[in-house]
Amino acid sequence: MKHYEVEIRDAKTREKLCFLDKVEPQATISEIKTLFTKTHPQWYPARQSLRLDPKGKSLKDEDVLQKLPVGTTATLYFRDLGAQISWVTVFLTEYAGPLFIYLLFYFRVPFIYGRKYDFTSSRHTVVHLACMCHSFHYIKRLLETLFVHRFSHGTMPLRNIFKNCTYYWGFAAWMAYYINHPLYTPPTYGVQQVKLALAVFVICQLGNFSIHMALRDLRPAGSKTRKIPYPTKNPFTWLFLLVSCPNYTYEVGSWIGFAILTQCVPVALFSLVGFTQMTIWAKGKHRSYLKEFRDYPPLRMPIIPFLL
Amino acid sequence: MAAAAATAATKGNGGGSGRVGAGDSSGARKKKGPGPVATAYLVIYNVVMTAGWLVIAVGLVRAYLAKGSYHSLYYSIERPLKFFQTGALLEILHCAIGIVPSSVVLTSFQVMSRVFLIWAVTHSVKEVQSEDSVLLFVIAWTITEIIRYSFYTFSLLNHLPYIIKWARYTLFIVLYPMGVTGELLTIYAALPFVRQAGLYSISLPNKYNFSFDYHAFLILIMISYIPLFPQLYFHMIHQRRKVLSHTEEHKKFE
Repeated sequence: MKHYEVEIRDAKTREKLCFLDKVEPQATISEIKTLFTKTHPQWYPARQSLRLDPKGKSLKDEDVLQKLPVGTTATLYFRDLGAQISWVTVFLTEYAGPLFIYLLFYFRVPFIYGRKYDFTSSRHTVVHLACMCHSFHYIKRLLETLFVHRFSHGTMPLRNIFKNCTYYWGFAAWMAYYINHPLYTPPTYGVQQVKLALAVFVICQLGNFSIHMALRDLRPAGSKTRKIPYPTKNPFTWLFLLVSCPNYTYEVGSWIGFAILTQCVPVALFSLVGFTQMTIWAKGKHRSYLKEFRDYPPLRMPIIPFLL
Repeated sequence: MAAAAATAATKGNGGGSGRVGAGDSSGARKKKGPGPVATAYLVIYNVVMTAGWLVIAVGLVRAYLAKGSYHSLYYSIERPLKFFQTGALLEILHCAIGIVPSSVVLTSFQVMSRVFLIWAVTHSVKEVQSEDSVLLFVIAWTITEIIRYSFYTFSLLNHLPYIIKWARYTLFIVLYPMGVTGELLTIYAALPFVRQAGLYSISLPNKYNFSFDYHAFLILIMISYIPLFPQLYFHMIHQRRKVLSHTEEHKKFE
């Protein structure tokens, strides 16, 4: 049986880093990364990007050596992706921040609103309701991260977490400041506005959760098989008939509900920014569904039925 | 902000030349760029802007000679300054539609920072208009813009005189610090009046549950000069070395 030789070079300097002889033809990129780690322990598999050209696309872990366009001596180019952090850690950090930061403002800890307001409580019912909604939302996200979501790619570059946390934590602090402010003004239309907004929020949270469960059940743990998501018996999943990413639709809906509930400009801005970002993701997802599945339902739009 | 002009230098803002280094050293080399109609439009645009800033320059000189003093010269060039600086907003459009190969975000930042200083600070706080610092940035901008727009004009026509290129990559050494100093001093002078009048500020309580403190915002802007200016200034110095040394190399081979 023929064996391969694999030479690994630095993508920038072209310096030879490693030479592996007698590599099995059926070896996967993942296995090659493991072998490479033996000689260079600081570059653990998750932070290795191996490609056929110095500036080419990263090879997938499951790619098989003998199926690549290489001779019996393969040259692969290595790039360090930097320190990696697991998706679970990322999400737990991103979501725990808003939860606790918001509560700091809610309880009016010192140095925020002036001494005479320290540890006082808002006199508006809607403010307490808003705190419950906000906390519920992020607790839900934390629990989903732990028990519902499955993550296809194992890790993300460490440096991204600072950007993501700035966004989530910053907006949380900003909206919390105004909602819990002693000079907060309740919604213009009073109880009716609050009730309507709360209904929107709750429905959308339930919808979002339902979609997450449906997506999770779409594939068994550990599998990478991809399928078209379809509506189930749960009515909240019926939005799949019209939308590719109903989880984003419901997410935006939740924040719109929260914005109406609190009548607070920073919340509206957060909703707008979130909507923009989720639209980008949804369009990307929609495009990849269309590319991958010939029989993909034509009626579906990325994030908003019939429109967008 | 002098930063605006610094980045523009390398990006070819307002002009079609784009690649400053490679393109300049060899007029014979074919450059990818806008079509003939777009080129004609850009030439006209750059000529008009060059002329506009020349009007401001001439206005300053005439006013100075007439008054015999440099105080309060702002009033004699206020209107053309506002017109031509605001007219630069078109450059954002040029980038957006692709006839100029520059970043829309970068160009927007450059142009908006100047438009902001003109309208949101100098125009809005009448008291600073008689400050000498206004003159400082106006003169710096005027000279920089005459050079910049004529640079683009000649580049688009594929006939760039060395003196223009030299001026573009040399005078900034003095003009950018001068402009930035004028900008910062002007904003600083405006602070007490902004605070006193509550200018452009929103306070609580209000039904939007949102507040904005323009005074604090201006302080934040002043602080942002600290990381931004050195970055752009030294980038320009680096660019200067590259561009002017290309010329030397070019001469060696002639």
